[in-house]
Amino acid sequence: MKKKILSVLLAGAMVSSLVACGVSTGDDAASTTNTGDATTTETAASGDAIVLLNGKPEIDEQLQALAAAYTEESGQAVEIQTVGGSNSATASDTLKKDYQAGTMPDIFVAEANQFANWEGMLADMSGEAWTENTELEYVNGDGTVGFPYMVEAWGIGYNADILEAAGVDSSTLTSPEGYKAAFETLESKKDELGLTAVVDYGANATELGWSTGTHMFGQYLDAGLSAGSDSEWFDLLQDGGKIDADRMTQFAEFIDLIQQHCDETIATTGNYDQETALFAQGKAAFITQGSWFGANLTGSDDYSGFKCGIAPFAFADGIDTICGGATSYWTVYADGNVDAAKAFLQWCSEETAQKAFVNECGFVSPFNTVSDIPSDPFAEAVNTYKTNGKLSPMHTFEKKDGLQNDTSVVFEDFAKGNLDVAGFVETISKVCEAYYAQ
Amino acid sequence: MTAFTARRKISSFVMLGLGIASLVFALVLDCLGFKFFITVSGRNVDIRGAILVAGILLTIAGIYLFPTLKYHRAIVYGLFLFPLLATFLVTVIIPLFFGIGYSFTDWDGIRVRNVVGFSNYLRMFRQPGFLWSILITFLFVFFNVILVNLIGFLLALLCTTKIKALGFFRASYFLPNLIGGIVLGYIWKFIFSSVLTNLLATKSMLSETPTALAAIVIVYIWQYGGYIMLIYITGLTGVPADTLEAASIDGASPWQLLTKIKIPMIAPTITICTFLTLTSAFKQFDVNLAMTNGAGSVSDFLGSYITNGTEMLALNIYSTAISQNEYALSQAKAVLFFIILAVVSIVQVRTSNKKEVAL
Repeated sequence: MKKKILSVLLAGAMVSSLVACGVSTGDDAASTTNTGDATTTETAASGDAIVLLNGKPEIDEQLQALAAAYTEESGQAVEIQTVGGSNSATASDTLKKDYQAGTMPDIFVAEANQFANWEGMLADMSGEAWTENTELEYVNGDGTVGFPYMVEAWGIGYNADILEAAGVDSSTLTSPEGYKAAFETLESKKDELGLTAVVDYGANATELGWSTGTHMFGQYLDAGLSAGSDSEWFDLLQDGGKIDADRMTQFAEFIDLIQQHCDETIATTGNYDQETALFAQGKAAFITQGSWFGANLTGSDDYSGFKCGIAPFAFADGIDTICGGATSYWTVYADGNVDAAKAFLQWCSEETAQKAFVNECGFVSPFNTVSDIPSDPFAEAVNTYKTNGKLSPMHTFEKKDGLQNDTSVVFEDFAKGNLDVAGFVETISKVCEAYYAQ
Repeated sequence: MTAFTARRKISSFVMLGLGIASLVFALVLDCLGFKFFITVSGRNVDIRGAILVAGILLTIAGIYLFPTLKYHRAIVYGLFLFPLLATFLVTVIIPLFFGIGYSFTDWDGIRVRNVVGFSNYLRMFRQPGFLWSILITFLFVFFNVILVNLIGFLLALLCTTKIKALGFFRASYFLPNLIGGIVLGYIWKFIFSSVLTNLLATKSMLSETPTALAAIVIVYIWQYGGYIMLIYITGLTGVPADTLEAASIDGASPWQLLTKIKIPMIAPTITICTFLTLTSAFKQFDVNLAMTNGAGSVSDFLGSYITNGTEMLALNIYSTAISQNEYALSQAKAVLFFIILAVVSIVQVRTSNKKEVAL
């Protein structure tokens, strides 16, 4: 008898565990809801919340607040799901999983080179009112598919206080000669200004490959071009990885100039933290980073509040632009709740929401609906280039995926002195061609 | 033994039929991407999953009640194995076949657009970077198997002598194995590129490809040596004391004791350790990722400039999928990796069996 009871109990446990598994899979959508105050009330308000997949954990709270404000205004619930850390791979991994599971969010984050993956599956937003207020939306064969929500830009960042103390005028930094003169002046006053190096440059492929392989290489592709008009060198690259030898030689000579005035240890083995520390301590006048660096700078204990600016990456005469634009977009899934999503994005482009983006999230706004500038040390410079129409495009994010991992190694070899200027040009051409051929 | 009642027969067949029908129904719905809603208190609930579970339960009940005496016991055994078998099927067998299937397509992680036959397999062998990865993985395995076993064995000899603080030594040699590879990789990266460079005023070992590979080997030995030592200690303490005593009474020197008695007696342990190091060295990933992430230049390999100088096979597969967004190509590489590991494992099982017979 006892045995029978025991076996019934065991069988019951097995069955109930199976049932439990089944039920929990059915409930998945509800259980992934964020536990923030805002979202719980919204999901209670309506069963048809639109879901936004956010890839930036640092602005999760701000977006929750924004969603709550929108719900209050329109009655439409918005649920913010946040994934990822420092790299975007996690957001796109989540999307792949969601796609297979049939639980795609209505709005999700995408970078320029990820739109091709979703070809034919995104809603066309052309004709939306917000497209009138920006020039930075992402357009491809499917129409207007990317809603820009932030602007980033990069050239060569500088410490304005140091330049002023050394008597270097930042407006002269539009040609290699201008840079050479500035570097030499600073080099001669190094002790007086307390500098360790004139330029803070890191080319270790493992640590800073994203900086050299994506951003600096992007200067070769786009520096000096005006937005939307031209893509000569990018087209050449896309055509089997071809490199323009003349332009690349000028570019390499400029990098060589930087290398003569940088800290060798940081250039070859340094990581982002070491690079940040050097600039934040005021021990370097220039840095090869862009506007995102402002957040690291203000977050550093060493930062004393000096003024910063961004100068063009002028490896050829007359380059007076910096590369910039939206580096991350929101896109609407065509099979989702398209109308509600479009309405939410429209609201996001308007003044109230844009003010929150600028002041709470610290983004430079891609829209002209707001004139506020974030308190970030580089924001003013970016905004000035933006309003003067001096932002070059950023085709570097549309080159073949993963090319930066290969080119960054060439940058490192160059920094270590294993390659000279001609060797750099030859190697990087070989590497690009090989990468596009494989 | 009484014959089965008609009621039992009918209920078994009905349950089986219903169960299989709803199973198939739920799976077909899922494959076609449809959902099946019912309205419960004003909310639409997708009960596709519930139908599937109900189908499974009905099928199980139907099989359990199946009117047979001869196979009833086998059926019960099978039912008890079912949860584990189902898990194994879902997590190992099905993904394996899916993976092989994907390697013949242009899958990008989202959808399959075309079937491309063997072109992924042809492409991967035309990539000098991938061939380099295979080459260094084999080199890495070769050095590791020898060095880890040698060092592990020497440590085991040390830890089976009568030195003081034996427990402390054993524990501290084993400790690195308890730290995860990623953490370990970051710690050693710090040691190589910050501590050693300051102490010795040399260039970081991680800055050049050959030394970076050597650095990975060192870290791997440090991580794995203690574990292998532990297995050797078990083997060595298993050598009968009376045999050793008899030999030393007969005048055998410590060296003779080692080579003529201890090593032959722990031959099975040596086999186990060799294969353990072999398979785990092949699968090297985390330390590789944390220390160099595969970067490193080789100026001329098969006529091209290689940029993934320290990237081993597992990491190459990972970065092909994740950073190059070539999921299908990466899948093809993974299939090759699977074949290599399968061959190693089969050889391992064969040799171990032979050794056991010989003993």
